[in-house]
Amino acid sequence: MATQDDDLLTGPVADPETEPTPAELAHARRFAELVDKTLSGRTPPAMSADDRALLEVATVIRATHGSLELAPGKQRSVVEDALRQAIGASPASSGSVAPIARARARRWAPWAVAGGATLVAAAAVAMLWLRAPGGGELRSARRAAVPEEWTSRPADALVGPIARDHAGDASARLDTIFADRLDGFRSLRLARGGKP
Amino acid sequence: MASEPATTVELELSEEQRLVEEAQQGNLDAMRPILERYASPLYGTVILPRLGDAVSAEDVLRDTLATAVEKIRRFTWQGKSIYPWLRQIAINKVYDVHRQSKRSRRLADAMVHEIAVESDPASHADAQLIADQERRAHRGKIDQTLQQLQDRYRLAIELRLVQELSREDCANRLGVTIGTFDVLLFRAVRAFRKHFGERAELPGKEPT
Repeated sequence: MATQDDDLLTGPVADPETEPTPAELAHARRFAELVDKTLSGRTPPAMSADDRALLEVATVIRATHGSLELAPGKQRSVVEDALRQAIGASPASSGSVAPIARARARRWAPWAVAGGATLVAAAAVAMLWLRAPGGGELRSARRAAVPEEWTSRPADALVGPIARDHAGDASARLDTIFADRLDGFRSLRLARGGKP
Repeated sequence: MASEPATTVELELSEEQRLVEEAQQGNLDAMRPILERYASPLYGTVILPRLGDAVSAEDVLRDTLATAVEKIRRFTWQGKSIYPWLRQIAINKVYDVHRQSKRSRRLADAMVHEIAVESDPASHADAQLIADQERRAHRGKIDQTLQQLQDRYRLAIELRLVQELSREDCANRLGVTIGTFDVLLFRAVRAFRKHFGERAELPGKEPT
């Protein structure tokens, strides 16, 4: 299906003497104003696609007849932006341009830091993984080196099976366990000469 | 036997070579004089005539120069100016813009075709020669299309877009009202685009 753009851009063009329709008259006036603005260097950023296509024609014709040059100020700005873009810096930033090697180093610095951190994390995980069995053995050896009464241990041997009719004597059982633990604490304390 | 004194052009070329080598060794600032020298011909004869939009052309120029700086280490000095290398980068960038554009742009497609430029290998003034040759080639295409238009359409384009007279002056020269001149120019540009687009479909596409 032909669109309005197709008609405008590729459809037949009337002869110069043909009377324009009101729609064409309005469009022609709008286009003339766009050309006005473009000639004075104020091309509006927003316009219809077909207007833009026609304006491109006007610009190409002007460019090939040497009417369009890059202003010296604009040229300096573009060159400066390009140099900064090449080294990955913001165009708005100021200061002199860094040499390529330094600039590249600056560009890759965040990736290098991230990569280094990842390597360190991976090494830590690997170390934990490899040392886990050895650590368990060490802990068993240390546990075996102290008397049993100094270690945490089950209280089953002290309390024994709890008969149903003694189920409410919990405080007595706690007293028994506390006395046993206190005894172990005293032994440990006295073994060090009373020092904590 | 005493050697002949170097010409100005040769000195310019040797200076360009020195700057390129300095840039290839890592001194980015060495590229600045080269970019400043060739920014204008790249914009006026390579990029803008192929795009038709000043804002896009500036963006492409900026990308072209940035790419040249980034890839300067890949450039091999062959005793000629660096301009043809820059020009090729610019043309590739223009192709990228056209590929990204969804709608039909037959006029721009026509201008994007590579214009064969051959400079005298013995000459050191490659950049200026190529730019002049390219400008003449573009202008020849435009003039050829203008000749196919009806007289009043051709005149409307020449007065308004080439001579850049005001709408009022153009209307006076053609003996019509400003409103009528607006319609003439509108139709003239449409007709130009239509003729130029038809001509553009004849030659083969530029290999990418």
